[in-house]
Amino acid sequence: MPNRVAIIGVGITPFRARYLDKTYFELAYDATKLALDDANKNGAQITHKDLESTVYGIYNELFERQFMPDIFTNSYLGMNDKPGTRIASGGATGGYTVRMAYAEVASGLSDLCLCIGLEKCNDCYDEQTGVTTPEVLNAIAYSADMTYEYPMGMMAASSYVSMVNAHYEEFGNPTEEQMAYVSIKNHGNAMLNPKAQSPMKVTVEDVMYSRIICYPFKMLDCCLYSEASAALILANEQKVKELGVEKPIWITGVAAANTDCFIGNRESIGRLYSNIEAAKAAYKMAGLDYDKIKEQIDVAELHDAFSGQEVISYEELGFVPFGEGGPWIEKSFEKPGEGPWLEGELPCCPSGGLIGCGHAVGATGIMSTGEAALQLREEAGKHQVTIEKGRSIAHSIGGPGAAYAAVIVMANEEGLKKP
Amino acid sequence: MSGEKFQAHEIRDFIKINYKYTMGGQSKFFIELKNNKKLLGTKCTKCGKTWMPPRINCSECYEPADWIEMKQTGTIEVSTIVWYTTSAFIKAIPYGVAFVKLDGADTALLQGIFSENLVPSKVKKGSFVKAVFLKEREGKMTDFFFVPEDEYETWINKPEYEGGV
Repeated sequence: MPNRVAIIGVGITPFRARYLDKTYFELAYDATKLALDDANKNGAQITHKDLESTVYGIYNELFERQFMPDIFTNSYLGMNDKPGTRIASGGATGGYTVRMAYAEVASGLSDLCLCIGLEKCNDCYDEQTGVTTPEVLNAIAYSADMTYEYPMGMMAASSYVSMVNAHYEEFGNPTEEQMAYVSIKNHGNAMLNPKAQSPMKVTVEDVMYSRIICYPFKMLDCCLYSEASAALILANEQKVKELGVEKPIWITGVAAANTDCFIGNRESIGRLYSNIEAAKAAYKMAGLDYDKIKEQIDVAELHDAFSGQEVISYEELGFVPFGEGGPWIEKSFEKPGEGPWLEGELPCCPSGGLIGCGHAVGATGIMSTGEAALQLREEAGKHQVTIEKGRSIAHSIGGPGAAYAAVIVMANEEGLKKP
Repeated sequence: MSGEKFQAHEIRDFIKINYKYTMGGQSKFFIELKNNKKLLGTKCTKCGKTWMPPRINCSECYEPADWIEMKQTGTIEVSTIVWYTTSAFIKAIPYGVAFVKLDGADTALLQGIFSENLVPSKVKKGSFVKAVFLKEREGKMTDFFFVPEDEYETWINKPEYEGGV
């Protein structure tokens, strides 16, 4: 039997457009220190010397201007002479990193493990336009197939929009207005999150008239690339007891799936098969039901790299039947109000998600997991949702055509007991 | 450090690597594209599935796949028009990309969609497209692109392009 695994500490640096005063490994140090402080606030008494291993989530060598950035981070974190393993799975790097850190502890290889994600993209710089973003996008575009896709000018937005457009062709949604609701919700929720990069009050018109990126995604439908680090400290059950951790958040389900990275090879282009497989497996492991998941959890931190893709994810993750994602977000906007959107059938992205917080790729999924864990401790801050069932999920997706997906299910002590 | 105003030091740098990259088992696709304007796919010797982009092995059956010549006409499965993009392509905006299922193929191929009137309705799902080739070909995916069927004659009459076989 695998060991039970708990998140005992969460450390998230602010997500910012650019840290001029920190390198990627200095950001990682800040997140680690925050996670240790949080674990100690949560009843433990540990330092970095107690951590037995590290799993690093770092997506892109070109961002960091460094191959094997994990080993340089390892040195700066004072983790020499212990095992450190790097995960790189596109936008889903964070979720996959949590999965492997879980495995590190569940297997008994480590009792206490540091699970850390980091990314610092905006040191990339495009000399011809005098801004960072086109060069950041170019560094990402090398993740498309270099022979068949990169030469076509394929990039993250055009890849994700293909699935969203195909979904629209099949079901008539999400409409541009329905996608705008996601943007309003996540930018709006971010106003309550002091660590978010893009807190904004926006309207449907603001989204509709924002700059076109690739049809029909507009600027405000897209997350911004961000710089940040996020860390979790994972412990096994014995360690949780030994350290006297007050509010352990148990990882009860963890699963991932890689679907075909060539979108054109898929049976249906309008499906994120990776989401479906990862969600089903994670819920099953947690003893939850794919068809009733919306009633079994309190909150979901989703990977909303693009508004339309959050809508499709509602369906793939089992919140609503296929084809009903667009109407579902629309329903939550029927009652007049200016947000925040922390109530309803199932609050999604109370932190602001990627659209509100920014997307610091390797750190993102770990931020989402950390946020979903803090919600269960009822320590999320101003964007705290009501916790009744004691369970939450975090979702990561990424790679060419969103080929990678990971879903993490968590429970607090009460959530373990409830049916 | 306290009280001292922080000043960042930034350096300009780049990473560049040159390649002479072998296309391995897929080489024939690029050679036929370059020399004969042919679009070759493969067909699994066991299950009969066609692969485009081609694979010389079937990833489902673990059996070899034979080369077959594909039609140069197809249908758009899904498309988008890109208006903001990477530093390498920003001078090309707006440009269309689409997943095109060639007639008789089981998979859809990502390619550029060129049009005299590049609007979403012109490149929507189900639109018929035809391959147009560059006269100067290098054996790369950029040697060809697709155009709406009704614009085919216009495109192949431009000096730098020509029709397929």
